[in-house]
Amino acid sequence: MRKNLVLLLPTLVIASFCFAQTKPEETEYYTPVPPVVTPGADFLTPPSDAIILFDGKNLDEWVATKDTVSGKKWTVAGNMITVDKTAGDMQTRRRFMDFQLHIEYRIPENITGSGQGRGNSGIFLAALPWGAGGYELQVLDNYKNTTYVNGQVGSMYKQAVPLVNACRKPGEWQTFDVVWTAPRFNDHGILHSLARVTVFHNGVLVQNNTTLLGDTPNMGQPAYRVHGASPIKLQAHGDKSEPISYRNIWVRNL
Amino acid sequence: MIKKITLVFLLSGISSAILLAQEKGDPKTTEVYSPVPKVVTPGNSPEAAPSDAIVLFDGSNLDQWTSVKTPGAPANWTVADGMLTINKFAGNIQTKKSFTDYQLHLEWRIPANISGTGQGRGNSGVFLASTGPDDDGYEIQILDCYNNSTYVNGQTGSVYKQSVPMANACKKPGEWQTYDIIWNAPRFKTDGSVKTPAYVTVIQNGVLLQNHTELTGQTLFIGTPFYKQHGPEPIKLQAHGDPLSYRNIWVREL
Repeated sequence: MRKNLVLLLPTLVIASFCFAQTKPEETEYYTPVPPVVTPGADFLTPPSDAIILFDGKNLDEWVATKDTVSGKKWTVAGNMITVDKTAGDMQTRRRFMDFQLHIEYRIPENITGSGQGRGNSGIFLAALPWGAGGYELQVLDNYKNTTYVNGQVGSMYKQAVPLVNACRKPGEWQTFDVVWTAPRFNDHGILHSLARVTVFHNGVLVQNNTTLLGDTPNMGQPAYRVHGASPIKLQAHGDKSEPISYRNIWVRNL
Repeated sequence: MIKKITLVFLLSGISSAILLAQEKGDPKTTEVYSPVPKVVTPGNSPEAAPSDAIVLFDGSNLDQWTSVKTPGAPANWTVADGMLTINKFAGNIQTKKSFTDYQLHLEWRIPANISGTGQGRGNSGVFLASTGPDDDGYEIQILDCYNNSTYVNGQTGSVYKQSVPMANACKKPGEWQTYDIIWNAPRFKTDGSVKTPAYVTVIQNGVLLQNHTELTGQTLFIGTPFYKQHGPEPIKLQAHGDPLSYRNIWVREL
């Protein structure tokens, strides 16, 4: 008899479970309430909770990577930043973990060169002071310019080929909208979760929650090394082609 | 035995050659040249359809849509002034074409004179896969959440009753709003069990609301979500009762 009762118990549980699922209120939740964010008037305008990294005026949010205290920074003119190849890379003062980033770039109309030597730059989604220097989203003029596919614009450099080539012509402004989830490490420095990235290039999806196997070196294999919140870095690439420009850079912490 | 030795020799030879090349600093070993991503011409703005998009509604007609209630019958919503307005008597409408994984853009507007509260204020929704009649499928909620509160897993940008949006990025009634959605359909084994769940990324008005959210099944008004096997399915728009309008709907298959 007792045994029978015990057997009956799961049935009762199931029955009450089914009973509970007859009201829509059972699956309605009221907290926590998502924060209200006022969106921009259009896709290019920052939402109310964005940190403005560059609005056309100054480089207050940026430092030279080589010398973060007094290093030479790039040039601001005509509401845009133009890469100064003699100054080296430039990175944000602030550090970030997970974020949504909007950034615009323009390859000069008079660009020359071919392959990787044509409008080469890059956006490091987390700048690291070792190895490859972080995780690079490649910027390059691939409008009728071919190179290795894991190094074309929209690639996670030498790790993830973009889904498509959505380049605009040199001289036109182009957009990147990026969702970055930083890798996580446990207290012992062991990798806990991989970095993930989603990228829209000019509104076209080129990376869909791509998981990274490590940083993005030019030579050798990607590797992870423990790090936390990191700056976002723009690359001054040493190729001989004319320098590119950036504008309208904003980021939302996630 | 000889075969084994040869194999071992060959493999170690190759890997040491790779190592050597990397140590020597030959970046060519990690350059990939094919397959080449296809060229897609982006739209003039992020909202405009790229060259490879299927335009589902461009303001002129409902040729791409059909009635859900009466399969094969015309989608009897109202087309005027370049937009599509819900006719609640006609019920839900869905695309004639079926889709698996895609990037979707659509724009919607809550009437400026909307009345009501909670779920009774500007309610509609986009079903990313219409798996059956009525509201069967996976719904991303549309609601007037501008100064209108409801259960958080039922507000705009929620995976209805499954996943709360990361933010409330609603514009005022009367203003056009955008959804940019990446949908990865679930995959099923031959026995009908889930091989991989569905994932969704949702951006409303340029603000990230869902970041590769894993779905636990179809969205239900009552009860706990569960999966049932399906293949490519249409995209469905919900006639919940309020006369919302839609425009500029396009989709890129991934």
